[in-house]
Amino acid sequence: MSKSINGRARRWRAAVALGAAAALGLSGCGLNEDNGASGDGAAGDTVLRIGTTTDVSNFNPLQSLSKTDSWILNAMYPHLLRIDANAKKAPELAKDYTYENDGKTAVFHLRDDFTWTDGKPVVADDVKFSAESIMKYKLGNVAAKLTWVTSIEAPDATTVKFNLSQPYAPFAEGVGFWMSVVPKHVFEGAGDLSKFANDSNWVGAGPFVLESATKGQRYVMKRNDKYPLAPGGKPAVSKVEYRLYPDVNTMMLALRNGDIDLMGTPVPASAAKTFESDSKIKMTKVGALGFAHLTYNMNNKDLAKQEVRQALSMAIDTKSIISSVLQGDAQQMSGPISPIFADYDNTEIQPYPFDPAGAKAKLTAAGYKDGNGDGLFDGLELGVACDQSNANITRVVQLFRESAAKAGIKLENECVERNTFLSRTKDGKYDIDASQWGVFDNPMDQLRSTYLSSNPGGINYNLLKSPEIDQLINDAAGTTDPAAFATKIKNIDKVVHEQAYLTPLYVENFQFAYNASKFGGFEASPSDLLGMVTAYSLAQVKPVG
Amino acid sequence: MARFVLNRALKAVLTIWIAITATFFLLRLLPGDPTTLMVEGDMTPEMRAALLKTYGLDQPLLEQYVSYLRELLHGNFGISFRQIQPVTDILLDRLPWTLLLAGVAFLLTIAVGIPIGVYAAAHRGRWPDKLLQGFGIGGHALFVPSVAMLLLVYLGAKLGWFPIGGAIDPDTRGAAAYLSLAHHLVLPVASLVLVQLGPYALTLRTNLIDVLGEDYIRAARARGLSGRRRLWKHALRNAILPALTLMGLQLGTLVGGAVLTETVFAYPGVGRLIYEAVGQRDYPVLQGAFIMLAITVVVANALTDLLYAVLNPRIRL
Repeated sequence: MSKSINGRARRWRAAVALGAAAALGLSGCGLNEDNGASGDGAAGDTVLRIGTTTDVSNFNPLQSLSKTDSWILNAMYPHLLRIDANAKKAPELAKDYTYENDGKTAVFHLRDDFTWTDGKPVVADDVKFSAESIMKYKLGNVAAKLTWVTSIEAPDATTVKFNLSQPYAPFAEGVGFWMSVVPKHVFEGAGDLSKFANDSNWVGAGPFVLESATKGQRYVMKRNDKYPLAPGGKPAVSKVEYRLYPDVNTMMLALRNGDIDLMGTPVPASAAKTFESDSKIKMTKVGALGFAHLTYNMNNKDLAKQEVRQALSMAIDTKSIISSVLQGDAQQMSGPISPIFADYDNTEIQPYPFDPAGAKAKLTAAGYKDGNGDGLFDGLELGVACDQSNANITRVVQLFRESAAKAGIKLENECVERNTFLSRTKDGKYDIDASQWGVFDNPMDQLRSTYLSSNPGGINYNLLKSPEIDQLINDAAGTTDPAAFATKIKNIDKVVHEQAYLTPLYVENFQFAYNASKFGGFEASPSDLLGMVTAYSLAQVKPVG
Repeated sequence: MARFVLNRALKAVLTIWIAITATFFLLRLLPGDPTTLMVEGDMTPEMRAALLKTYGLDQPLLEQYVSYLRELLHGNFGISFRQIQPVTDILLDRLPWTLLLAGVAFLLTIAVGIPIGVYAAAHRGRWPDKLLQGFGIGGHALFVPSVAMLLLVYLGAKLGWFPIGGAIDPDTRGAAAYLSLAHHLVLPVASLVLVQLGPYALTLRTNLIDVLGEDYIRAARARGLSGRRRLWKHALRNAILPALTLMGLQLGTLVGGAVLTETVFAYPGVGRLIYEAVGQRDYPVLQGAFIMLAITVVVANALTDLLYAVLNPRIRL
């Protein structure tokens, strides 16, 4: 009997061992691939390790729409222009640009010292090919910015001309900043670029180029030894390694622990204080290129009235929201243009004051009544939609609901899952949209996208159809003289504010944390899209000591 | 036995087909489509239409479903919307990591749970038993990410005993790579085991106490068999059957828990892939991942049934 028991025990132990070995063996495949793929850690390498939140979803820079993809891809593929610390466009691959033919031709003059990592020079034909491919296959978000292009010419190696169907003042800035330039000699053999994964044998002309990608774990980039925008012609850091931390709390622990040197993603305002006691961690603060706002659906019978929109603007206490929700880490907005664009922000505009009694009086004057004496106007009941994964905005909606009740306006909290929210706002199935614009790189694009009735872009969440606004926007769009353009933008700013098509709330500040005992020299740019991980910034980074 | 196996296999196939169908339609019932998330890109209606056509989402739903089933039968899970890569390749890259994590947690739960359950049953009413009852009930209340974050903060960051996330150190090879792999595995596995262990051991303990009161155990005692032998040989074999069923069911929970654990520990498995794909509405990846996990759970449950049948011949009747 005992022999039989021992036999069974042996079989059981063998089964467990076999299972464990099989599991380890299975992972062993991935294990070996991983080790074979990453070649970092060699002696003499200076590796900058950056935390990112998600895998690269698409290595094709003409097609990718992901913020975290762009951190890696922008370091490989140059852009004509970049955004500097003051949110102004600065030269990158292009030395400068001009408009000719009454604004109907945008001409970029390129530098002649950019080279692809396979040794070929970056030339105007690469820019032409990139733009034409985007137009042909309708790739990414740049396709909409090339709507006005009728043809592209590359008369010599350093000149690119975009011929436009009509003058559009911010064309050069928009295309220059957003469009990645890819090597024609590599991409043209790939066939249909909408199906080109570009997931190996990378050739770039940015400061770094991908060397290996281990999905779910890390992306290793090696230095481009010929990058003219780096001090001395090549980056001081020999490798950049992006490590994945989907949870921002884990990423913060990894920075403290020395596993990474920089967080690519901003530190949440509520958690920023945890780094204060750590002498080796430094924080850099930048503004956002977007802003939080309340947008009103003009198809709603109440919200179609200017008085109601103005009353709502007076029923939200933005100052206390900034101090309580954002711990003071934001700027209050007045008009619909972010103060970060100093040239276009109309400083004569004052925010609507927080005045529930004044809002109530305004609504009474507009004919609203409180027949049952419950403190709320009869029939004035509105829903506020938001993305519930945005903790700050969800809190804003709660506070807005409470303060609006003091003005006699009943609000319902309709915060839902992100995709449901986006789907509802796109379909106009909401009353008030509380959200945060991501990135606007220039005010004209913002105004066109959000207010033009014929805008093909589709983020006119107001569903506004105003001939006056259409005329003002179209007029400004065709003005290529910078001073006249700024004046016209400021005027639109004023009209939108008076009409209260939206209530701008705040421009959030982002804080980026890095290990200052190991690296310095970062050049931060506004927004969480850019932050500390732009190609230009990474090219400036130096090891400390 | 052959009829029993065939019956179980047919049920498994049916379950997998239901999982495939439910996954396909539920994902498409969600508001929005993969283009919804691209609003910040100023997308024109033409661009949206072109994208939907590329994704095959412009076809009627039933047509999409039939086409999907046809491709599945050929072993083709489709092409990821976002990654422009075959879903099979993406999943095969990630599945071993999830199997390793869930598999080790599963085996460890059994290996530790059985002695704890037996010990508590043998010491019924005394402090080890009371401790297990508290732990078992507490286990039901534990939330995997909270346990994971606590372990990460104290054992990872404060004490520095374990790495902060990841699956392996990049520059290790051979035996060192396996050690690094095991080192990175400790905290994610511990998070899953801590949540699963209590309820499992508690179920075993309760069953064992019931079985210990059966006539045949009393008869064994009358025959002079030792307490240890009665407990481990006679009582445990019967008491373990419901616990085995529970483990089969808990495998699904383990795989579900891996989604959260992998996110907190930055572990490169299927769970994290799902987390990312949900945000991007990448239907092919989500479908492929759910189907692969469903197959894993269904196969594991079928194997549990077979094991159950081996241990308890009555259910084959």
